[in-house]
Amino acid sequence: MLTAEDQMAIESQLADFLKKSEAQWSALVDKGGNLFAQSGNTGGLDLSILSALAAGSFAATHELARRLGESEFTALYHEGHGQHILMSALKFECLLVTVFGDKTNIGLVRFYAQQATGALDGHLHKARENERRVGHLSLEGDFLNDTAAIS
Amino acid sequence: MAFINYSSREIQLKIVYYGAAMCGKTTNLMTLHKQVTHAQKGDLVSLATDADRTLFFDFLSLNTKTLPGFTTRFQLYTVPGQSIYNTTRQLVLKGVDGIIFVADSHWERMADNVESFSNLQENLVENHLSLVQIPYVLQYNKRDIPNAAPVNYLEFTFNNRANRAMAFEAVAATGVGVLETLNACARLLLAKYSKNPNSNVAGVSQTGSVVPTSAGPTGARQSAVA
Repeated sequence: MLTAEDQMAIESQLADFLKKSEAQWSALVDKGGNLFAQSGNTGGLDLSILSALAAGSFAATHELARRLGESEFTALYHEGHGQHILMSALKFECLLVTVFGDKTNIGLVRFYAQQATGALDGHLHKARENERRVGHLSLEGDFLNDTAAIS
Repeated sequence: MAFINYSSREIQLKIVYYGAAMCGKTTNLMTLHKQVTHAQKGDLVSLATDADRTLFFDFLSLNTKTLPGFTTRFQLYTVPGQSIYNTTRQLVLKGVDGIIFVADSHWERMADNVESFSNLQENLVENHLSLVQIPYVLQYNKRDIPNAAPVNYLEFTFNNRANRAMAFEAVAATGVGVLETLNACARLLLAKYSKNPNSNVAGVSQTGSVVPTSAGPTGARQSAVA
């Protein structure tokens, strides 16, 4: 759960990371594939699909690490011809996903990503505390009888 | 686990289609991609082998306005049915909110169905979950085949418990029962956010009786919560 305050703080952190690293797009995604927050531009890509695939890719790599006797691969980097992607593990079952082009380089992106992950972990910890305080979402209505929730 | 964003007023819910190899999980998503017209939908993504067998997962995202004041984003996943991909199935179940178990109505696939249902429960335990916590719906697929197992046999095999799940007959390839199955699962998930949640919904309470309702518009058989 993210409150408006949490969202703003995380997006501001992502924007700062993008500015410093000169990456193109960055997002906070959970390991189940949910997109929590994002900043930057992907040129109209479907962000749900991007998040689901990033989480799946990281999960497969994590399992590979476990089977090789590593506790975890903390980062995963895919290099393309013009576009590259870096995924960094955070606490609280989350990932920092960064897409960048040839304007910058992996060393710079990784350096600032390491700084950003520390700050994002702090925001996630605060969000977790807020979640305990706010409690369960409850809305008016009996949604069991909505026969066409999806049509 | 459902993700609620109060800033963008969005709730993300993950539904996983589970079942034995070739039971029709991917066909369900392909049919939904064609059938759903009102909800905003993304592309259908399939991570499959050259022979169109699911290798990792299929994915479809649907946005609806079903809860007051919120956009609900249903993220639909399938798992690979082949037994060699069990680790992958465990990964796809991470963060699941609801499950649709697809059973193949062929008599000769019954052992595979039973094994898959048992495997689902084991893999939920691996993710520190159980069918008591996670709302799930059963779909008896391929009802159009000549030697389909009777529904009461399938009910006895997969739904013989104190709190029976909703069960639907379907022919995923032609679209029969597909949307009804998904809507049933979606309603169970949304009911968790009602101010007066029904105690029969998994994850709300583990006790309560089952009240069978009449058949749905497509001939779907329901053993539904009241």
